[in-house]
Amino acid sequence: MKNISVIGLNLLLVLLAVCSCKKLVEVDSPETSISSKTAFNNDATAIGAITSLYTNLTNGSLTDPGELIGLSSIASLSADDLDYYPLAGNPSLGLYYQNALTTANPYGTGFWGRSYERIYLVNMALEEIPPAKDLNPKVKQQLLGEASFMRAFYYFYLVNLYGDVPLVLTTDYNTNALINKSPKENVYTQIISDLTEAENLLSDKYLKADGLTSYPDGNEERIRPTKWAAAALMARTYLYTGQWTDADRAATSILSNTTQYQLTDLNQVFLKNNMEAIWQLQPVSFGYNTSDARVFIIPDVGPGPDNPVFLSGNLWNFFEPGDHRKTSWLGSVISNGITYHYPFKYKVRYDPAGQSAPVTEYNTVMRLAEQYLIRAEARVHLGNRLGAISDLDKIRERAGLKLIKDINPNIGEQELIAAILKEKRAELFTEWGHRWLDLKRTGKIDEVMTIITPKKGGGLTWKSYQQYYPISINELKFNPNLSPTPGY
Amino acid sequence: MRLTTVILIASLMQVSAATFGQRVTLNKTNASLFSVLKDIRKQTGYGFYYDPATISQNQKVSISVADATVEEALLSALKGLNLVYEIDGKIVTIKAKEKPSFLENVIAGFQEIDVSGRVVDADGRGLPGASVSVKGKGGKAVSTGANGSFYLKGVDEDAVLVISFIGYVSKEIKAAKGLGDIVLEQSLSKLDEVQVIAYGTTTQRLSTGNVTTIKADVIEKQPVNNPLLALQGRVPGLFIEQATGFAGTGVKVRIQGQNSLNNGSDPLYVIDGVPYLSQLLPGGNAILGSSGGTGLEASSVGNPLSFINPSDIESIDVLKDADATAIYGSRAAGGAILITTKKGKTGDTRVNFNLQSGWAKVPNKLDLMNSQQYLEMRREAFRNDGIIGFDQSSYGDNDLNGNWDNSRYTDWQKELIGKTAGYQDMNASVSGGNERTSFLIGAGYHRETNVFPGDFSDRKSSVHFNIQNTSVNQKFKIQFSGGYLYDKNQLPNKDLTREATTLAPVSPALYKSDGSINWQLDATGGTTFGANPIGYMYNLFTNTTDNLTSNLMLSYQLLSGLDLTSSFGYNAINSSTIDKVPLLSFAPEATPYMVRTTNFGKNGSNSWLIEPQLTYVSSVWKGRLEILLGATLQQNRVIGSQIAAAGFSNDLVMGDILSATNIYAGSSTNSIYKYNALFGRINYNIQDKYILNFTGRRDGSSRFGPRSQFHNFAALGAAWIFSNEGVIKDNLKFLSFGKLRGSYGTTGNDQIGEYQFLSLFDPTTQQIPYQGIPVYQPKRLSNPNLEWEETRKLQLGLDLGFIKDRILLNANYYVSRSSNQLSGYSLPLTTGFGVITKNQSYKLENSGWELTLSSTNIQSSNFNWKTSVNLTIPKTLLVDYPDIVKSSSASTAIIGFPLSAARLFHFLGVNPATGLYEFTDKNGNPTTTPAYDDKTVIKDLAPKFYGGIQNAINYRSFQLDFLFSFVEQIGPNNFYGYNPGNFVGYGNQPTSVINRWQKPGDIVSIKKYTSGYDLYQSQGNIEGSDAVWSDASYVRLKNVSFSWQLPTEWIRKAHLQSCNLFLQGQNLWTITSYSGLDPETKSSYTLPPLRIVTLGLKIGL
Repeated sequence: MKNISVIGLNLLLVLLAVCSCKKLVEVDSPETSISSKTAFNNDATAIGAITSLYTNLTNGSLTDPGELIGLSSIASLSADDLDYYPLAGNPSLGLYYQNALTTANPYGTGFWGRSYERIYLVNMALEEIPPAKDLNPKVKQQLLGEASFMRAFYYFYLVNLYGDVPLVLTTDYNTNALINKSPKENVYTQIISDLTEAENLLSDKYLKADGLTSYPDGNEERIRPTKWAAAALMARTYLYTGQWTDADRAATSILSNTTQYQLTDLNQVFLKNNMEAIWQLQPVSFGYNTSDARVFIIPDVGPGPDNPVFLSGNLWNFFEPGDHRKTSWLGSVISNGITYHYPFKYKVRYDPAGQSAPVTEYNTVMRLAEQYLIRAEARVHLGNRLGAISDLDKIRERAGLKLIKDINPNIGEQELIAAILKEKRAELFTEWGHRWLDLKRTGKIDEVMTIITPKKGGGLTWKSYQQYYPISINELKFNPNLSPTPGY
Repeated sequence: MRLTTVILIASLMQVSAATFGQRVTLNKTNASLFSVLKDIRKQTGYGFYYDPATISQNQKVSISVADATVEEALLSALKGLNLVYEIDGKIVTIKAKEKPSFLENVIAGFQEIDVSGRVVDADGRGLPGASVSVKGKGGKAVSTGANGSFYLKGVDEDAVLVISFIGYVSKEIKAAKGLGDIVLEQSLSKLDEVQVIAYGTTTQRLSTGNVTTIKADVIEKQPVNNPLLALQGRVPGLFIEQATGFAGTGVKVRIQGQNSLNNGSDPLYVIDGVPYLSQLLPGGNAILGSSGGTGLEASSVGNPLSFINPSDIESIDVLKDADATAIYGSRAAGGAILITTKKGKTGDTRVNFNLQSGWAKVPNKLDLMNSQQYLEMRREAFRNDGIIGFDQSSYGDNDLNGNWDNSRYTDWQKELIGKTAGYQDMNASVSGGNERTSFLIGAGYHRETNVFPGDFSDRKSSVHFNIQNTSVNQKFKIQFSGGYLYDKNQLPNKDLTREATTLAPVSPALYKSDGSINWQLDATGGTTFGANPIGYMYNLFTNTTDNLTSNLMLSYQLLSGLDLTSSFGYNAINSSTIDKVPLLSFAPEATPYMVRTTNFGKNGSNSWLIEPQLTYVSSVWKGRLEILLGATLQQNRVIGSQIAAAGFSNDLVMGDILSATNIYAGSSTNSIYKYNALFGRINYNIQDKYILNFTGRRDGSSRFGPRSQFHNFAALGAAWIFSNEGVIKDNLKFLSFGKLRGSYGTTGNDQIGEYQFLSLFDPTTQQIPYQGIPVYQPKRLSNPNLEWEETRKLQLGLDLGFIKDRILLNANYYVSRSSNQLSGYSLPLTTGFGVITKNQSYKLENSGWELTLSSTNIQSSNFNWKTSVNLTIPKTLLVDYPDIVKSSSASTAIIGFPLSAARLFHFLGVNPATGLYEFTDKNGNPTTTPAYDDKTVIKDLAPKFYGGIQNAINYRSFQLDFLFSFVEQIGPNNFYGYNPGNFVGYGNQPTSVINRWQKPGDIVSIKKYTSGYDLYQSQGNIEGSDAVWSDASYVRLKNVSFSWQLPTEWIRKAHLQSCNLFLQGQNLWTITSYSGLDPETKSSYTLPPLRIVTLGLKIGL
């Protein structure tokens, strides 16, 4: 018996000794996650991490402010291109529509919060990728380029939606929690610096998911940013900041690359991988093509919770007679005696052939037509009136409209700029917030919205500060150094 | 030794006298001894012999005995006198105490004998584990073996042995070589009922901590599907709230308040020594409601205790203070609930059946508008909005535009939640055993159906077993217990209660005459009744869960008093869910755009535990010392996945993932929790008067960063049983028991989920991978410095027993402070995430009073009536919170106020000019558009007090038990409806909204009706104001149980051991002024706890 008790005691002592050992409470990363260091030190996961930005964009909703893709409907509601269907039961859209956002209203944080969440990943990539030892150098270069491009992309929209914004360039939350706003000019400087970097690093061909090989010509998947996407955003940024020469140069660099980019037929502009597309997003939901089609195309029963917006009468009546875009890119449905028009750029709402039907349309983030209009506008400012008319007529020609050079060859500069902007609205309506941003950039917004806002119901009037969305009260509370959007 | 022999005989006599003697009841003060002895003689028939020289004529004594034995009476009468007595047959001899000579004393000191005997209960069954110790200084002690026998070596001849066993009245007896059977009487006092505590047992009499015990007899009187619900209203300091009326509902459990702001305030559940889940893994059917999970567990629904058969439970012990829980260290900041399952008992093999069947219904109905009132409201809304004509689209105003028959009226509450559900419960068990081996095998079946239209049910089948064995030499013991339960819960994935209380009364019929679902198509073929709730009924959510709990306990007696025990536990709870959305649930025109989708979920939590323990019991100085030393090794693995499958060709194959054309993974989980600890307890009991209890634990958990994995917890408890002090015993005769106790100590909380300190990337869900590759995104901001939350608890208690414990009063005051709170710390979104998990400096203070009064009002052979009242007055306060603004709870938490306080607008009324709700702004001026900082009213939303009143009445073979539970609280009322006048498929309102604004100058309580969304803000404001918070206190007849034991003759004729018929009811009657559907769920949109009535039969073979 004594032996047994000695054994027992020893056993207990061993167990006790074992117990306070650190090993017993140490765990590895779970199998379902990877640590951030590992993620950026391996080609596949590093590419996967950057690609999550595109997945998130394309997964975003057009009926819920968050991912920037939502601007296609939401910024159009804020402006004069779309109307909101009051029985849709989506109060957040109602507030964007009526220009009635306030700092206390949580719907104001959507684009802000989501963009900074994505910028966190971009900044982490820019911190972790350069020292990563196991990355293929070419992959490393492309990913750094994509990260720089995406940072510029998010800041471009932030600065246009909110005015002065904090310029977050690191992942350190201690710093970022107390960051001040940077003036718009500084944000633009950073955007241009990031885009310059991106233009240098990015591949000029569309790459496959390995980050190395390019697609055969004419058979590309145009779903990762390239050097040309950086140039396109660069051209737009220069246009927005009034740097006409640079805008002209950047746009020209793409427009002259005719082997990769050409204007296509109106019916092909939104097909996947068409020649006009500079950067598109691949849909990731079974059975659906773009979310644009899902939200914009109104079924026979009329608008409802899933289809809460329709074309404004203002935009319907805006097109010149004979504009082919009015027939090609707009649809209509009569529901209970009321006619609803809707944007019909994307045509595949749901493929009746089922979920396995091939996807034919990709959401188009940037396309060549915009570059013509950018260059046209820059050229007017640079005194190249003929060049401007030529670019503008490229777009008018495709739309089946009479050319300016034929009907009004001596058009004055101001008139020409107005014609370009008019064309831009007709061309780029309900695409990525162009109308809303252009109204602000050109200073036309007060003039237009003073008339429009009261017509949206709710007895509200337009106040100029509403051209910038408010920053949520919580955001202001958690960061004492942050000031509200002026006016709110 | 002559003297020894005499005493021995006397003591033997005592035993026999105790067995056969007549009873004495005598109450005299300052009477002559002669008269007292005369009275005893009269009552007992004993004769007295004494030398008149030894008793003087005027010897005065006082005596107060009731129903006492002759010895007790004599001891009382002769107390303090220099007299002794001897009993010989019916003759009592009284003589002067002999002064032992010095020599005799010395001899006696050296005279040692070996004592043997057997400790038995009143039925003659051996009591294993009873303690036999020599009274007085450094006395030897042994425990009895499996058959109750003991052998004590080398005992002073004249020593007195103290024989005690938990739950029995202790006995003192003179030492002798062969003591034979020593009968211990079962203590009838509640104070002596066994209480299970962490790693041991105690009684309320000797406990230094705050523990409440609920036994099987109480649990089995209640038709509940979750044992936690059987505790409601019965345990002071324990607040239990049922989330819904569904079988498998979420149940919120808080012991002495909420100690953590964000991360798990649940108690630690321990089943037969093995920790059990306090929250289910995410992925269940959302309509079951939450169990109060916060933080990471906020998405958890249902309750893990639903998968334990209440009939398998012997007792549930609720451990509340630091003394009782500190030994559980980091896991017990929220207290602990110990569940002990039934064990086999020695004796003849017994077979028991318990069958019951019953009915369940929604007990309450809201007072809603009828068709005429509804239509009037809608038309008025349009007039107010200046709208002429109605929206003709099929999404439009179908209730008014001619699409729906306005002469219809449907009571949707009756139609959708008015059905009577069924309730069946069957249990059978076989148990028995001999002195060394005993066993129990039980099986159960439980079925509940649902009040919704359609065929839904929850079915559980379970088995439970226990087997125990002791080696021949009594040193080695083994015990193996286990339980397995299989549950299949089928429900729609939507609670129809909201539809029942909001669907327009003029809505069309659910079905068409041909039995198909009625979408009420309009002239153009558009659906006008898209909200038809029958659509949801096709969305079947099936959740199957199996739960295995098992525990193996080995123990070996190394030396006398030194035992090595080890517990090995394993628990596996696995669930699989199938959530089907067939095309039938969609309106016909949507069908072409929809696909059949099934979500397949799997979740498993598997944990094992090893706990070696060493216990040592000995007499040290005047007291009894118990030392426990142990260690814990525990690991828990959670594996889960959600897989969405779509594109099934028909409804029949939707349960088969292979029939889907598109499959993608929605989520996957695979995590490990490792935990280990060292723990110890020292308990020192001096003569059942002074008891000290010290517990400590060193804990390590994998949930924290490498720098802070380990932490120490400790507590000290002390009790003073002052009723055992001579002074009090003599002077306060009415006081049968008095104990003062207190404890102070620390416990912790590590319920923050796994891997919080690591910076991780997770795959993102995408049905079609972008460019064909998986993508990853950052999970959260990581914080490598995470540490434990710590709770310091102070507890003071007073236990009093009066009139032989017929009245027991128990009072506790507790105050605890939780610091180093782990919670979300809000950051601006510019950091990438709005929040980081962080230890924060604020403290939560919980304090309160717990009172219990139990009394035996009437006690006689035929009629017994017992009452027990408990009351808890809790308070939770948020203190020391310099950084409150940054906490993610900033918008809800208010410093210096209870945690449950909310900031609200102050409601002034309806503005007579505009017809809108009007509030006070921050400057005290009226406004109809208050902003966030106009929330000037702070209201505490937590219960002010709660408790229960239980009554148990026995009359001959009838027994009636009933419990009223009560809560004083406020809740959000249903008075203002939801935006009256608006209609998006729904729209009905409580009749309280009829008193609305119609024209300028109206002084009314409800804003003007509106058909659109422009007054949503006004509705939102009223819901954020103090107007919607009104009294939701209630008194509920929670449980009634009436049983009748069939006459013995009948039972004998039927060859049965026992037979009872019973009638039970749950949630039978509620008194409340609350205007919503139910004051416990405080909602009008979730299914309330059902009223259940069952009939049953209990048979023993």
